[in-house]
Amino acid sequence: MKNSTRHYLSIAILLASITAFLGACAPSPSESSSKTSGEESGRKITICLIPKKKGLPYFTSCAAGAQEAAKDLGNVELIYDGPTDGSPDKQASMIEQYTLKGVDVIAVSPNDPDVVAPAMRKARAKGVHVIAWDADAVKDARAFFVNQASAKAIAHGMVDTMANDLGNPSVKTEVAIVTAYLTAANQNIWIEHMKTHMASEHPNLSLVAIKPSDEDQKLAFKVTQDIMKAYPEIKGFFGISSVSFPGAAEAVRQAKKTGQIMVTGLATPNSMKSYVKDGTVKSVVLWNTAELGYLTVQVAEALATGKLTDGASSFDAGKLGEKKIEDDHVLLGDILVFNKDNIDAYDF
Amino acid sequence: MKGGIRKVFAYMVRYRAAGLFLFIFCLLTLVTLVNPTFLEWQNLRDIAVQAAPICIISCGLMLVLVTGEIDISVGSMMGLLAACMGAMASLSRGNWPPGVVIPLTLGIGMLLGLLNGWLVAYAGIPSIIVTLGMLTALRGVTELIMAGTWITDLPSGIRFLGTGTWLGIPVSVWTALAVFLVSLWLVHQTAIGKRIYAIGSNPHAARLAGLPIKPIKVFVFAWTGLLTGVATLVSVPQLSVVDSGIGVGLELLVITCVVVGGTAVNGGIGNLGGVLCGVVLMTMISTVLIFMKLGEDATYWSRAIQGLFILGAILADHWISNQRKT
Repeated sequence: MKNSTRHYLSIAILLASITAFLGACAPSPSESSSKTSGEESGRKITICLIPKKKGLPYFTSCAAGAQEAAKDLGNVELIYDGPTDGSPDKQASMIEQYTLKGVDVIAVSPNDPDVVAPAMRKARAKGVHVIAWDADAVKDARAFFVNQASAKAIAHGMVDTMANDLGNPSVKTEVAIVTAYLTAANQNIWIEHMKTHMASEHPNLSLVAIKPSDEDQKLAFKVTQDIMKAYPEIKGFFGISSVSFPGAAEAVRQAKKTGQIMVTGLATPNSMKSYVKDGTVKSVVLWNTAELGYLTVQVAEALATGKLTDGASSFDAGKLGEKKIEDDHVLLGDILVFNKDNIDAYDF
Repeated sequence: MKGGIRKVFAYMVRYRAAGLFLFIFCLLTLVTLVNPTFLEWQNLRDIAVQAAPICIISCGLMLVLVTGEIDISVGSMMGLLAACMGAMASLSRGNWPPGVVIPLTLGIGMLLGLLNGWLVAYAGIPSIIVTLGMLTALRGVTELIMAGTWITDLPSGIRFLGTGTWLGIPVSVWTALAVFLVSLWLVHQTAIGKRIYAIGSNPHAARLAGLPIKPIKVFVFAWTGLLTGVATLVSVPQLSVVDSGIGVGLELLVITCVVVGGTAVNGGIGNLGGVLCGVVLMTMISTVLIFMKLGEDATYWSRAIQGLFILGAILADHWISNQRKT
């Protein structure tokens, strides 16, 4: 009895000392604000790049591009850090931590725009430049959004690819979407555009189900299996995240429906190679991820040094050349489609 | 006739899983009326494949709960074991043969379980704190091993564990069956099984009786670790890509299955039949919802229904248990 009390006591003391230690490590807010208002020239700019989820090859390849931009610019110190489980709450607390640390720019790809918005606004109030990249944030919580391709282009690209892979069907054809989270901003906008595009351009494609995979391959696999059985006439699946796409493709392959049911969507090429080779997948839609990271760091640096201000309509992004800015969106450009012929040229 | 029904009812009531079983039966009837294809062989097989790894880990976790402890690290443990297995087996990384990869994966699982058990039993730290720490730490190690990439080239020897069949039944289902039978034997036929229950239902008496409490606690954690290894081997190779997020949230699912199956969170009570019912219910719920063809709008409220079903199952179970007392 006495023993266990002592244990709890020692744990409590340990926790208390850790908290005290962390508190001592974090710089006080006044310290960090004096730093931002101080000397501008010759100073290193610290940029914190926060992905939705650390450890996804998609974001790792973006980070490689970001690293390259940091090297090209010379005055940038890059921190790449994000939640390992894709939780929006953790993302919000990371934004708060890096704000306290006194970084110059925070570039975040929000998992849930509404959840991270308060932390982003707080950071801005403390003088940190905040931008969104890869996925948009709440408009007033960020200065710019570095957009890989317009949502319309991505959504239309996927629907057109599906229609094409199915041989432009002339009869009603059932398709389904396996998405990431139901709250994922990117995916939800794409889904809206996909619906309108199907209605106007491909009326024969009829969407019968939208299911979340919670960024879990296994769940994507399971819901795809279930949809195939519940809707035996189904002809196509959209896997619109880099985790749901391979999961959906594996389910179709294991059901021995390769060639009868088409799968398309967004994913990194390495995880889809085997499916493209055996014909389960004809095309994989994506954009140049390394260039997205590169552009994000360029925008971040320009914002911190005052080269880029609100209301600009174009932006010089180093080796990428001139990029258009529309309505606070810095646009990267077109989508990239991988197929049998070109997928081996990419390794990420 | 009436007496017969009463007899069946009395028999079911003797086991805590009775209400759950009844609930599953009603749910099955409902979904079959709406969509008869639910009972097709292929669908039942797919559900069994999904349930297999959950069932395997639940068999271990139930024993941990019966001793009055808890293990919330199994999700991260599976993530780490998947990464280890992938790195060892992948053609471009280790390229080790399955004969080496399989025992090593099981061994690492057991060692992690031993570590959990040692920290709980001998270092005396509460199990919720130990395994909470492990939940984060093991995920971190997984990220370290994966280094921001995924493993996309598992060899066919390992893939067989996840996709292969024997006599038309998937390897994972055979494995789950074997684990279930071994667990039944462990619980009902061995001294250690009886001691596990003794420790959980009355720790004070167990101590006075001189039962080896610490080694038994270490055993249940190590057993759970080993079974997590088994579950990893038969479930992760079902997919072609090993990512760093495997097993996220799995601990909650497994704990839910075990608790819905009638295991007491504070120890002493738990039976494998109930746990099996819990596993079946939890794995079939989302499939049932898709088969009801509630349409595209259902996407947003299907989680809520899922929650209601779980609550309904627990209520039914409670109600029947109370009938037994009166």
